[in-house]
Amino acid sequence: MQNTDTNRQDQEVLELLKDYPMPAADAAFYDQALVRATHEGSRRQRNKWMLTGFGAAVAATIAAWMIGGMLLNDPQLPDAEMTIPGVTMALAEPRTVNLVFASATALDSATLTVSLPDGIELSGFPGQREITWETSLNEGKNLLPLTLVALTPVGGELLARLEHEDRDRTFRLRVDVT
Amino acid sequence: MSTAEQSLAFERLVRPHFDRLYRLAWRLTGAKAEAEDLFQELLVKAYSKLDDLVEIEEPGSWLCRVMYNLFIDERRRFARQRLHTVDEGHLGGDGLEGLPGTENPVLDNERLERINELDNALAQLSDDHRVVVLLHDTEGYKLSEIEELTGIPVGTVKSRLHRARARLREILVANGTIS
Repeated sequence: MQNTDTNRQDQEVLELLKDYPMPAADAAFYDQALVRATHEGSRRQRNKWMLTGFGAAVAATIAAWMIGGMLLNDPQLPDAEMTIPGVTMALAEPRTVNLVFASATALDSATLTVSLPDGIELSGFPGQREITWETSLNEGKNLLPLTLVALTPVGGELLARLEHEDRDRTFRLRVDVT
Repeated sequence: MSTAEQSLAFERLVRPHFDRLYRLAWRLTGAKAEAEDLFQELLVKAYSKLDDLVEIEEPGSWLCRVMYNLFIDERRRFARQRLHTVDEGHLGGDGLEGLPGTENPVLDNERLERINELDNALAQLSDDHRVVVLLHDTEGYKLSEIEELTGIPVGTVKSRLHRARARLREILVANGTIS
């Protein structure tokens, strides 16, 4: 009897699942998604070229940061104990921060993710707290200019995370706002 | 190839699969905003791989796999719980558009209540179980197709399907939706 009940209940569950509705996409969504994809895809390709053109390539052996034009050379891998480099910005005034990564070897298909603190935006990416690029990196120094805008006087820590295959490295940049 | 030609070529490749991809995004995420984000991210990724895409024999299957991987990557990256709100749930707002009505309002209401209970029950499953049961029992994917999409062996898919159904039955019996 119990098996009979279970079978009937299973059947009811299956009928409910088969009948489980899902709304269609909004009429304009597909067209808008296509436009955004081609626009964003082109922009990412440009970013890829920008990074590659400057020599991209970090991997696990990133060695240096250049902040606001000041080069901080360090032949060792940065670690969490090192002093975190910082930059001071004025509220609502765009400031370009140049990040330089140096890699001992060329790397294909690396992923660079920039995570922004609250109140700091990357120019061209309003409202986005995390921006990801796919890039190929060459041996040598790789420059990534980031134009930041402070929307609040709070500041915080910007993280740049580089991933390649199973390796990753995160770099920190303190952002102070005056 | 010019940018305009690239865009056109891209559209020809991906547009025929939009409905299938949108359905998959919905079933994976369970919410409109997240489904649209996932769909959008897939297109951006696919456009950046246009050179590869034109060479693929079955772009639809490839796009589905990329979407699933994006979903998994996103889930791992943020390790966040699936948010489920009335506004973005299957029955809120736009969700009603997907529910064909009858001329009998009492029947419609009963059906809405049952679907609402199923919605809540599905939200109590793990993502792994929810996705498998929705792909198989709602979308009609074969076990082998789920294996191909997710990379999960058929045996594991079967096991998850069995557990997901059992859990749904347990929840729906307990709240009186089925008896």
